[in-house]
Amino acid sequence: MNIRGNEALRDKLAAEYVLGTLRGGARRRFEGWMYSDAALRMLVKDWERRLLPMHEFVRAQEPSAQLWRNIEMRLHLKPERSSWHFWRGFGLGTASAAAAAALVLAISMQQLRGPSYDLVATLTDQQAQPALLVKADTRKRLLQVHIVGGAPVPVDRSLQLWAIPKKGAPRSLGVLGAEGRGTFALASSAVGDDVVVLAISLEPRGGSPDPDGPTGPVLYKGPWVRAM
Amino acid sequence: MAFRALYDAAAPKLFGFALRILRKRELAEEALQEGFVSIWHAAPHYEAGLAAPLTWMAAIVRNKALDILRRTDDTVELDHDAFRDEYASTPAEASEMSSDARALAACLARLEGLHRMAIGLAFFHDLSHTEVAQRMSLPVGTVKTWIRRGMERLKSCLSHAEAP
Repeated sequence: MNIRGNEALRDKLAAEYVLGTLRGGARRRFEGWMYSDAALRMLVKDWERRLLPMHEFVRAQEPSAQLWRNIEMRLHLKPERSSWHFWRGFGLGTASAAAAAALVLAISMQQLRGPSYDLVATLTDQQAQPALLVKADTRKRLLQVHIVGGAPVPVDRSLQLWAIPKKGAPRSLGVLGAEGRGTFALASSAVGDDVVVLAISLEPRGGSPDPDGPTGPVLYKGPWVRAM
Repeated sequence: MAFRALYDAAAPKLFGFALRILRKRELAEEALQEGFVSIWHAAPHYEAGLAAPLTWMAAIVRNKALDILRRTDDTVELDHDAFRDEYASTPAEASEMSSDARALAACLARLEGLHRMAIGLAFFHDLSHTEVAQRMSLPVGTVKTWIRRGMERLKSCLSHAEAP
């Protein structure tokens, strides 16, 4: 059977494949087609994206502590006594460790417990180095700023966060504390569809004396994007 | 280290999921262990645009759990009344779910209870159309139709939910 060109059938089979009701010979045939058909693999990915969140309907449960130790052992994550093992394990795992870090960040930003941030911005300096991470939960009206890099701020100055609309004056979202991080109430002016960029300016201590915009240089900026 | 943090963040949810499929702690732990080993190796190839990270990891763990289920086969006891409670109702802890799961729950809630149950049985227990029909004491043709229509409705409902 050739399923190329029959979109309705391809989509139906992809759905049954992910759901699990496609069985036996039909399932093996489908896997054979998937192997040489990238568009079919995309249909499967789409159905996974739709159906797999069902796993969250189940109550979370703690696995035994031994389980992590088994995983650690299988992957040689723990430095072993011999330095040869240590270096080998380290070298092999670097790419996975970096990817795991990115996944942790993505998860903590997207889901699990607490606020669910639906707007995010990574503010970068002029060399495109990330300096601050800004995220907002529009339902809980919460705005959070984390410093991830960037230059230290002189004691007599403050960093101020601005929403830059397509037209009109910048709107102040808050002045960062001395340690550079903070949680603010999210002003509705920050989440309008017309706000596409966030920026940080260097201001006199306590913030810009001008309510309509920064008086100091803009140090960091980045696009304000909808995460979900 | 990062992988430990990833494990801590995701393992309880994924373990609950594996336990729902396999019903036995030792089998669910095996699925989780195999799953995390695969996640470690596959993490550099994860594409953020295609699926939320937890969804991506859940797909991996589910495949491991289904492999184990097929290997051990009919050792998993299925309790009809428990099913009714599990699938006829929609989940309660909505505040803990991702936006994807909330959207899916809302769309599932718009299906009829028995259609939702047929989809849940197939998804969590790797049952064929025939097996779902047996569990629900219904003709297989009915179950096939319900599942096909249910999937079509889910797709259309979710595409509306995704639109900005």
